[in-house]
This record gives sequence, C-alpha cells and structure tokens, in this order.
Amino acid sequence: MPFIEVNGKQIETDEDGFIVNLEDWNEDVALALAKTEQVEELTEDHWKVVNYLKDYYKEYGIAPMVRKVVKQTGFSLKEIYELFPTGPAKGACKIAGLPKPTGCV
Amino acid sequence: MINGKDLKPQDISKPVKQLTKIDKLMDLPAPYDKPGMEPELTEPKEEWAEKFCASLDGYIGLDTFETPKTKEEKEELVKKFLSGLEKMLSDETNRSIIQPLMLSLDYCAKCHTCSEACHIYAATDGNELYRPIFRSDILRRIVKKYFTKSGKLFGSLVGADIDLTWETVARLGELAYRCNLCRRCAQTCPLGLDNGVLAREIRKIFSQEMGIAPKPLHEKGTMLQLKTGSSTGITKPAFLDIIEFLEEDIEEKTGWNIKIPIDKKGADILLTHNAGEFMAWPENPIAFAILFEKAGINYTLSSDLIGYDNVNYGIWYDDAQAKKVAMQQFEAAKRLGVNKIVIAECGHAHKAAAVSADRMTTSDNKIPVESFLPMLAEIIKSGKLKLDPSKNNFPVTLHDPCNVVRQMGIVQPQREIIKAVCPQFREMTPHGVDNYCCGGGSGFAIMNSMNFGEFRNKVSTRMKFKQILDAFQDTIEDSSIPKYVCAPCSNCKGAIRDILEFYEVTAKFNVHYGGLVELVVNALADLEKPFLEFLHDDEA
Repeated sequence: MPFIEVNGKQIETDEDGFIVNLEDWNEDVALALAKTEQVEELTEDHWKVVNYLKDYYKEYGIAPMVRKVVKQTGFSLKEIYELFPTGPAKGACKIAGLPKPTGCV
Repeated sequence: MINGKDLKPQDISKPVKQLTKIDKLMDLPAPYDKPGMEPELTEPKEEWAEKFCASLDGYIGLDTFETPKTKEEKEELVKKFLSGLEKMLSDETNRSIIQPLMLSLDYCAKCHTCSEACHIYAATDGNELYRPIFRSDILRRIVKKYFTKSGKLFGSLVGADIDLTWETVARLGELAYRCNLCRRCAQTCPLGLDNGVLAREIRKIFSQEMGIAPKPLHEKGTMLQLKTGSSTGITKPAFLDIIEFLEEDIEEKTGWNIKIPIDKKGADILLTHNAGEFMAWPENPIAFAILFEKAGINYTLSSDLIGYDNVNYGIWYDDAQAKKVAMQQFEAAKRLGVNKIVIAECGHAHKAAAVSADRMTTSDNKIPVESFLPMLAEIIKSGKLKLDPSKNNFPVTLHDPCNVVRQMGIVQPQREIIKAVCPQFREMTPHGVDNYCCGGGSGFAIMNSMNFGEFRNKVSTRMKFKQILDAFQDTIEDSSIPKYVCAPCSNCKGAIRDILEFYEVTAKFNVHYGGLVELVVNALADLEKPFLEFLHDDEA
C-alpha cells in the first residue's frame, strides 16, 4: 500500500493520497497532507474549513455539499479555492482526513 | 512497443512491457488548434506499472487488479477467465444476453463500418487498439480456440490463434474499459451486431467470475449504495439534512417558500435523482422542485434505502449487482404506493430502470418507469409556467446522453423544452440518436484512479469537446459572451465539467455547463434574480 510518512510513522493512503483510516489523522498528518495539495501552511482560515468538514463527516458519515461548506464557513467558493487550490472536494477533504468522494460527483 | 497503426489482435499476448501507446490525437477546432493549448499526454508512473496492468496502452482503469506474481496466481487468473467465458457462452448462465452475444460473435463481416462510428477510434487518429472490432476479434479468437471443435483441432488455421496467457487476460480486461458502451457502432452495423455487448461481457467476466471491477463502480459504487442507500455515501440522516438545506437555498435564491415532499403518501410520482446531483449540482434537484411545484405535480422523493438514488452502476459491469439495485428501487416505490417512477436527469438510470430492469422481473414486482423529459415537455406546452426566454439570451447547445437518445429513442421532448426557453439554441453535429458519447459513459466519468482521468480528458471526451467548440465557433473567442452546454445527465455533466476545467474553457472562453431544468427555471418570468449563477453581475 502507498503511505505518507509523518513524524517517522507510516500512514496508509490510497493511490491518490487519501488516508485510509480516519483514526490515523492528527494535525501533523493534516499538515503533511496539505503539502501534497499545494497548501504550504494551515492558517486559522484553513482550520475553520477543515474542522467543519471533519465535524460534518463525524455526524453524517459523508462530506457536506460544497454549497453548505460555503454557507457554514462564511467563505465564498472563490475564497475556498484560494485556501485550497485543488478544491473543496479534493484538497480540503483530503487534508481533513475524509475519504475520496464517491458516486457521480 | 508496437505502433498503433500496425497492431493486430494476435499481438495482445506479446510479452512486451507495454503493447502500444497513443502517439497522435485528432485535431481540435479553433482556438484549440494552436500548439500549447492543451496539456500533453504523460507516461504512467513506474510504481503503478509495476503493481497494476499498464501493459496495454499505459492507462489503468482496473484499479483493483493487482498483477499476479507467482506462477500459481497467473494460472488461476487464466483458469477463472476461461470458466467465466464458459458461463458467458451458456444459455443456462447468460440467458438474458446470449442471443445478441452469439450473433455478434459469429457474424461480423469485418466491413469496418463501425470503426467510422467510434469516437475513441477517431480521437486516436485510427489507432488499431481502439477499433471497435479489435477487442471483439480477440474475444472471438479465444472463444474459437477454447470452445469450438475446429479451433481445438486446427488452431491458427481457423483463426484460433491467440495464446491465453495471464497477460492476455489482463490486457483484455483493461481493453474492456476503453469503450464507453455508447453503442453508436451497434447502431451503424449493417448486420445489427453489437461490439458494446462484447466489451460489457468481458467486464462481466472480470466482475462476476474474477471479482475485479473498478473501485469507483463496485466497491465505492454499488456496494456503498446497497449499504448506505447511495453510491455517494449519503445516508438517510444526511439526505434529510440536505433536503432541508435545499429548501433554505430555494428561499434565499428566489424568495419562494417551497417544500420538497419526502415520503408523501398518495403521491402519483416518485421522482428519483442521481444522488450525485445533491452533492455536486444541488441547483438541479432545486430546479426540479421549483418546476414541479409551479406546475402542480403530485410527486414525492423517497428517503427509503435506495429510494433517493437512482444510479445503477451494475449495468456497466455486472448483471447480478444491477438486478439487486433495480429490485430494491422498485420496492422503495411499491412501499410508497406511487403510480410510477419518474427518472430525473441521469442517462444510465433511464436505461437501467426503464429498459434493463424491465427484463429482470415479472410484472407483479414492477412499477411503470418514465423519463422526466416527455412530462416536462407537456408541462411547457400546457402553459402552466410563465416563461420569458429572453432571460436565456446567450448561445446554448445540447448534449444528448446516449442512454436517453440511442438506447431509448427520446429525442424530441428535450428539443421542444430547450427551444421554448433558449432563443440562441443551436444543435451539435451530429445529434439525436446519432450523437457522440460525452466520453464519460459506462463509468468513465467517475473513474479517476491513477491516470485514467487523462485517458478520459484527452481521448474519450475529445470528440465531444470538438463538437462543443464547433457549436460555439461564432462566439467562442469572445469571452464577454457566456455560452452554455446543456447536458441533462449527471455522468455527462461530470465528463463535460472535466473537459471545461482540463482545457480551461470556462476560464478562457466563458463556456459553462449544466442541466436542462436549470435553463427552464432561469426563464421563469416571475424570477427576480437569475437562477444561473454565471449570470450574476458580482461573479462575472
């Protein structure tokens, strides 16, 4: 299996770099994942989005709709793309430790 | 590596690292006819090629198929494939498809009429690997060698000349995912033979007999749908949360207080969406809710397991999975007591529920299934909606989803609708039943593992991209004029979204995409602010 190395520990990922087990996630892992998605550091604004994604996923077992992320975090879609250049569904979800989106999305 | 123009079916078992590669692509119209306008093709990563089968053309569609290492594993692979072939050829185990299958295997006259019809063959400038009968001919030679008396006795003298090594099996599995199953070739065949059926039979052997299918279709598709109710992973609580959010969104966007009916007893219609719409294109189910409310339609959505997602990926790769999903969808409708199911903007769900599922069970278990298109055309004709087409006064073209036109013959209703609301509508060439696939058909739109997205964006969607550019030649280079590709199908929308991103068509030339109902809502006379967001001044 592919993996990402964080603090000397190997964290299992899929072929596209999404972590396989949510339990492996912590802030250091998030930062390491961020670097794979063109995000060099995680600011307060990044964390606002990442934490919202994580909380929603914990409650519903799925990532929230992009429109909902926009509304709940108060960032416009443009601002979200500025924070996460690879987009909310790929970049932000990956950094939050969520699995890759599935279905016809 | 063999040049694509010189490739022969027998080469499939050649022990080379990679059989062939795409070295030339079909030219694109202006402004994409200049060098540097599109990203170049790339080589597969070495670590992928070691682990998976990249030995066909360098692309990997079967992301769950790790190449066998030991002699035993390799033999087992061939054995299972042969056992699957035996079942494919038996009336007992493949009754629903055996007749068109055997006709297609036995009667091809190699006239190559089908080659001219294939968008992938055209996109690769006539690379033999993608000729519609190339794959069929390999399968035909294998069947001849292992399942006919003459083939067993005389081998290559009667065309039974392919060695069934593990590599042949692996490459054939990949090759089954270089066809969109759009069946444009079948429509053009003078003998009525169907190369799409043969490609799908290979996918079936891999899934049903060998347990190998692309992860986005099976593990993260069908299996997730059977578990949570949707291939998106939307559970019932998530679904209810989303609907509540959509209602708020309608009010904010339009000022209208519209309730989206869920599990409504006594409803005439169960409306089913591809659940991907809720996640990626919520304006589509919102537009349906607005139009059905305004037209006074007695309908409901279902929050029942599988009642809120009309997808059925099984029709792309596995009969047993297709049947499981279809039966549960019928049951969800039965429990609600509706008179019929109406399928919203999802092409493969149209075919799966209205055509394929119709042959899977007896009438007692069934509920009539219809497309939303004739119904929406009737609503427009009835005059119940007050429309102002001048609100859509920009160039619009229509992509025809193959499953709606070619597989079901629904061609005129969508044109009546779009002509009623879009004064600058123009057809693609060709269109209707002669349309070209978006390039995302049969699962390609959601197969993004490793480098498969590149095959889609550069090759399988290329003809559609050409058609879009051709349709907008008059205005393409004027980025002050917005242009809209209407694609009433989630899968097609996904493929077209990726084209517009990959080639930066939206950013450079102001080309947008979306469904059909959004255009109708945008034309509602009493709507104050445009429904289509690209028309908002603040985002222009």
